[in-house]
Amino acid sequence: MKTFLAWLLWLWMCLVIVGAFFYAPVVLQGFRTPGSSRIVFFHVPMAWSSFIGFIAAAVWSILYLVRRNPRHDRAAAVAIKIGLLFGILATVTGAMWARIEWGAWWNWDPRQTSILAVILFYGAYLALRQSVEEPEKRARLAAAYALLGLVVTPFLFWVVPRITFSLHPDPVVNRSGKVDMDAANTQVLFGSGFGFAALFFWVQNLQCRLEALAERRAALKE
Amino acid sequence: MSRNTSSWASEAAAVFAKEWRCEFRTRYALNTLALFAFTTLVVVSFSLGPMGVARSQGTAVLPVLLWIILLFSVAAGLPRAFVQEEETHTATALRLAATPSALFCGKLLYGLTLVLALEALVTPAYLIMTSLEVTSPWLLAGVLAAGGYGLAAGSTLVAAMIAQARSKGALFSVLSFPVLLPLLVLTVELTRGAASGDPAGVSLPVLLLYDASVTVAGLMLFPVVWNP
Amino acid sequence: MSTTLRFSDVRRRFGRLAVLNGVSGAVEPGGMLLVTGPNGSGKSTLLRCLSGLLAPDSGTIEYREDDGRLDVAERRRRVGVVAPDLAFYEELTVRENVEFFARLRRTSSQRGFAVLERLGLPLDRLAGALSSGMRQRLRWAWALLHSPRLLLLDEPFQNFDRAGEDGARMLLAEHLENGGLAVVASPSPLDFDHVSEHLELGV
Repeated sequence: MKTFLAWLLWLWMCLVIVGAFFYAPVVLQGFRTPGSSRIVFFHVPMAWSSFIGFIAAAVWSILYLVRRNPRHDRAAAVAIKIGLLFGILATVTGAMWARIEWGAWWNWDPRQTSILAVILFYGAYLALRQSVEEPEKRARLAAAYALLGLVVTPFLFWVVPRITFSLHPDPVVNRSGKVDMDAANTQVLFGSGFGFAALFFWVQNLQCRLEALAERRAALKE
Repeated sequence: MSRNTSSWASEAAAVFAKEWRCEFRTRYALNTLALFAFTTLVVVSFSLGPMGVARSQGTAVLPVLLWIILLFSVAAGLPRAFVQEEETHTATALRLAATPSALFCGKLLYGLTLVLALEALVTPAYLIMTSLEVTSPWLLAGVLAAGGYGLAAGSTLVAAMIAQARSKGALFSVLSFPVLLPLLVLTVELTRGAASGDPAGVSLPVLLLYDASVTVAGLMLFPVVWNP
Repeated sequence: MSTTLRFSDVRRRFGRLAVLNGVSGAVEPGGMLLVTGPNGSGKSTLLRCLSGLLAPDSGTIEYREDDGRLDVAERRRRVGVVAPDLAFYEELTVRENVEFFARLRRTSSQRGFAVLERLGLPLDRLAGALSSGMRQRLRWAWALLHSPRLLLLDEPFQNFDRAGEDGARMLLAEHLENGGLAVVASPSPLDFDHVSEHLELGV
């Protein structure tokens, strides 16, 4: 069953790629190089998946604190790692897009800043895990930090739009397309979003199982 | 046999009093904070040169530097509140005797008074040395108070976390920065507003909301962090 | 006053080392459980699990006072602990330490001062200036400060001179006579009158 689902996901993503390049019309208002707007079908879902990682980690952290089951702690850590991966991908694709559109890799627009802050947070979470040896203590402290992060990070979405300097008076780059998109574009975007979310959970599942096996192997070696 | 001769508030007050009593006898945190703050202050002022910063750029740059000085001074001196308990092993007695929420509040109040004292010392010196003119001093005072509280609250909780880990010094900076980033962006913008006379807008309520959120998060998460 | 302590199949490992391998026991009012075993057999670990300072990997620990079961957080605050790693604030005097912890425990410092007077310890000396034997007296005062019903004593007579040890033994005997419970960990079985159960670890 799992293999079937994996193949289904593969097929879905192929459809998304085809749709992004051939099905979706190129017309997205306000872009100097319309062709580059296709990146939105990948860049935006990657960012979404990164945030999914944050929320999933928070949920597993709460579960761990209530049930104290090490599996939940492992799931939370894996969610953060994969969220970090997607976050880096989103940042890189975003920078590429910004370069093509505006000529600058980085311009501190709200979305770029937000994803960067989230990545910093993920990195800090992983640094904390590295610094605690005892598994129970590590799980406890990491879970607390993940939840603290969840409380604090939304403020960035209030706060960050205020720091846009007058260097870029143009409207925000990344959030474009949402209002001006026609049906085909919307379909591909949300289809891709769904695909990337499924991809997140699939990779998460694989990685969790991998880490569980690695742990068992290490325990047997003694 | 044991009468309730005090209450939760009295517990928190006892922790607060103990912190300051120990602090006055060693003066470690005060010295560290003051030394760090003044060294950074001198470096900043010296680098800006005798002519200082041009008026037009002053409001853009100077508020940031003030909060960087405050942030790093706090990172140098505040985590000790928890780190020292673990290192001297007094944490064992505290774990067995104290109510976690009261302990957290006591430490938080201690951190807050430290930060406010630091701000009271650094801000006038900074304003003088950089010739930064402040149009709305009351707004500045408000930002320092609310922002200082946020610094203390966030730092106290993160300090409790890293006190039980290795490489505490470096780890504190790494962990606290993402948590304090929203706070700093707000306070810098509000300080800028206080200097140039812009109204606070929605930033001040958001800052207070941040303070409240971190406080609630601290009260809920501290028992988890403190006890197994 | 029915206070009981029961623990069963308590397990705890540190990394790959299984320190506690399914330990069980029970103490009734007036009873004393003596835990012995060589170094590293898990005596301190067991006591730390019982006091709530350490969470066992599995097993149950049940502590009841007056037929009401206390959870870990409540148990932590209710027990009296003497342990070698218990330390106090060096910059404060003995008196200030006792008063601080009395305020934390929401009780008066009378009992603490009384114990210190019996064992003999000057109140106005800095805790940092105490010898190891005097620190042990302070630990006993701290443990008995809130008149706990359960005492968890890890090497309770460590560093004591003759006078200190006699005083502490009397305090322990009085505690048991008043219906209190005690779990005592010691590397070698000491001669005790009140041992109701003996648990040997590391065998």
